[in-house]
Amino acid sequence: MDNIYYPRGTVVTDIKEDTPTIKTFHFELDEPLTYKAGQFMQLTVPGIGEAPFTPSSCPGEVREMEITVLQTGRVTDALHNEIKVGDRLGLRGPFGKGYPMERFAGKEILIVGGGVGLAPLRSLIYALFDRIDDFKKISICYGAKTPHDLCFRDEFDEWTKKPNTSLNLTIDNPHPDWDGTVGLVTCLLEKERIDVDIKNSYVVSCGPEVMLKFVTLKLMDVGFKANQIYLSMNRRMSCGIGKCARCNIGPYYLCKDGPDMCYEDIKDYPNVFE
Amino acid sequence: MDIYFLPKDELTELIEILRETGKVFWTRERDLPSNLENIRTIRIEELDEEYIMDYRVPGLRAYDIFKSFLLPLNFKVAEYPDKKWIDVELNAKKTVLLGLKSCDLVAFSMLDAVFLEDPEFMDPFYKKNRESIVIVSSDCSRIGDSCFCNLLGNTPYATSGFDLNISEVSDGYLLESGSPLGEEILEELSLPGARKKGIEERDKRREKVLKDLEKQNSKFLKAFSDLSKLVSEGYYRDEGWEPGSTCVSCGACTNVCPVCYCFTLFDRFDKKGEKSKRFMVWDSCQYKGFSQMAGGMNPRFPMMERFKNRYYHKFFRFYERYGKYKCTGCGRCIDNCLGDIDMREVLASVKIGKVVK
Ligand SMILES: Cc1cc2nc3c(=O)[nH]c(=O)nc-3n(C[C@H](O)[C@H](O)[C@H](O)COP(=O)(O)OP(=O)(O)OC[C@H]3O[C@@H](n4cnc5c(N)ncnc54)[C@H](O)[C@@H]3O)c2cc1C
Ligand code: SF4
Ligand code: SF4
Repeated sequence: MDNIYYPRGTVVTDIKEDTPTIKTFHFELDEPLTYKAGQFMQLTVPGIGEAPFTPSSCPGEVREMEITVLQTGRVTDALHNEIKVGDRLGLRGPFGKGYPMERFAGKEILIVGGGVGLAPLRSLIYALFDRIDDFKKISICYGAKTPHDLCFRDEFDEWTKKPNTSLNLTIDNPHPDWDGTVGLVTCLLEKERIDVDIKNSYVVSCGPEVMLKFVTLKLMDVGFKANQIYLSMNRRMSCGIGKCARCNIGPYYLCKDGPDMCYEDIKDYPNVFE
Repeated sequence: MDIYFLPKDELTELIEILRETGKVFWTRERDLPSNLENIRTIRIEELDEEYIMDYRVPGLRAYDIFKSFLLPLNFKVAEYPDKKWIDVELNAKKTVLLGLKSCDLVAFSMLDAVFLEDPEFMDPFYKKNRESIVIVSSDCSRIGDSCFCNLLGNTPYATSGFDLNISEVSDGYLLESGSPLGEEILEELSLPGARKKGIEERDKRREKVLKDLEKQNSKFLKAFSDLSKLVSEGYYRDEGWEPGSTCVSCGACTNVCPVCYCFTLFDRFDKKGEKSKRFMVWDSCQYKGFSQMAGGMNPRFPMMERFKNRYYHKFFRFYERYGKYKCTGCGRCIDNCLGDIDMREVLASVKIGKVVK
């Protein structure tokens, strides 16, 4: 009998420090698994516990996986402070629905990330790159606190070399090491700045919930419809399988029906944004 | 299935057969000097020889819940050493539960829907526990102040979901089997078939209890029939929640509820620090930390948001997914509420419909 609570084994093969508070862990899985962009995993640190993460690596049938982690609590502290290359961790999953890639096909995709929120989006970005001819355009808007808090900086050049792909960055406050845009990520979405065919596009956003709120308001303001906006509602989850009942919005279980939700589907329910 | 007659003094024989079937837990009404503690007098306990001779199946649901036989307060769901990852061994012995009421069985059927019948994720621990219990239910012969099963379309007697059901009549008991195992037990007792008169008396008693319930809850009839409106519209309004304002987020209501099953997975090392163990632990949506996230953000804050969510979950979200309200009408949450809140009054007060923004 399959034990749905039991974590499968995986070994850490590399750890990369993206920012002072964010690390990317590279895993080799004991057993291969298949996951779609937007699906997430429950990562176990033995004896400490589990936390949900959306892999930041390219989806598909994989033997390896990357997970990018912001240090913020019990499990993530242990990951940052104690886990070394060679250590064995556990994984459950994949869980959730994943992005509706078929609906996205043929459209322009606007990706809006904040902080570590670019990590789950990176997996989507790779998935889009994988079949880049299916998409009219990929516009990435990314914001972080300081230049040193931007994840995956060493990959940005490669991303912008892809056909029809643009990347716009911003940081919250002026900084000596930065001569680019300054302001919250919403400033990249101002009408005169976004170069997107609004009628023919979908937006995907991931970041802190306050950011999602203001991104959504801005998007609606510049003319997007609620059914074009997909938000990563990455709330506290325990089981990942729609049973423990802490991650719901309206009739939805974010762990099963999401975590990426179309704003149209959730907008009228209580407690959507804090 | 056929119905048989068990003379009053032969109840002990039935109990003896149940004891051979497995470890028996029964509900027993204790003799307490005062009526004040009334709701706490019927308790679930392991069968005690001392009381077998005088045992009578209580006429009302127990103060405690049978949920813990399927989902214990905490139990190990995984154990993993550093290098080799192994599954936990599953073992559960046969357990006979005696004295469940119709509402207890309704609760089991809801838990089954969540943990057993979900085509994607079946819980192996629940399954094992579920398969190991033998259910001997009994009709309610009286009602409690907080009982409102009738408002949810349930009856104070069970018609399915049991191995055996006991109905008390004037000179003994009518026994009905609901499974091959129940049938076997009845065969062993070799009882005479119930007479028409006996069955008529049973039906009359049943009707009387149902009538009592209808009378007690008549003023809440509308509130509960309006629930179908909630299901079709999907929203509560913000007004009308005043009856819940005394909630102190103690979580008693969810802990005593036979169908509340929120849990959290909790890991820790064993004493030597060599193996890790994962436990499934009861949790409560009424606790502040239930949905709190790293960084302190909490989508269910303040208290009233959690309070509303419990109702919303029971009467809308659960219905959306499982086609039934997540409440049996047993009234335990009413009996145990520190804020003295009556679910019926809350439902009678809230307004259904979209919040106007
Ligand atoms: C689908 C999904 C995908 C995600 N993807 C990523 C990702 O790619 N990268 C990333 O960095 N993060 C991601 N996250 C967020 C990540 O899961 C959290 O940061 C992580 O769970 C924090 O875990 P922790 O154990 O370190 O923090 P915790 O110690 O659990 O702290 C979390 C918060 O929960 C509260 N809390 C914890 N335990 C209790 C308790 N027993 N009682 C009361 N309150 C308690 C505390 O208030 C604390 O602030 C994702 C989340 C989801 C849901
Ligand atoms: S919500 Fe209250 S009345 Fe309904 S099943 Fe739970 S404890 Fe019983
Ligand atoms: S038992 Fe009453 S006071 Fe306690 S959390 Fe439930 S509703 Fe609130």
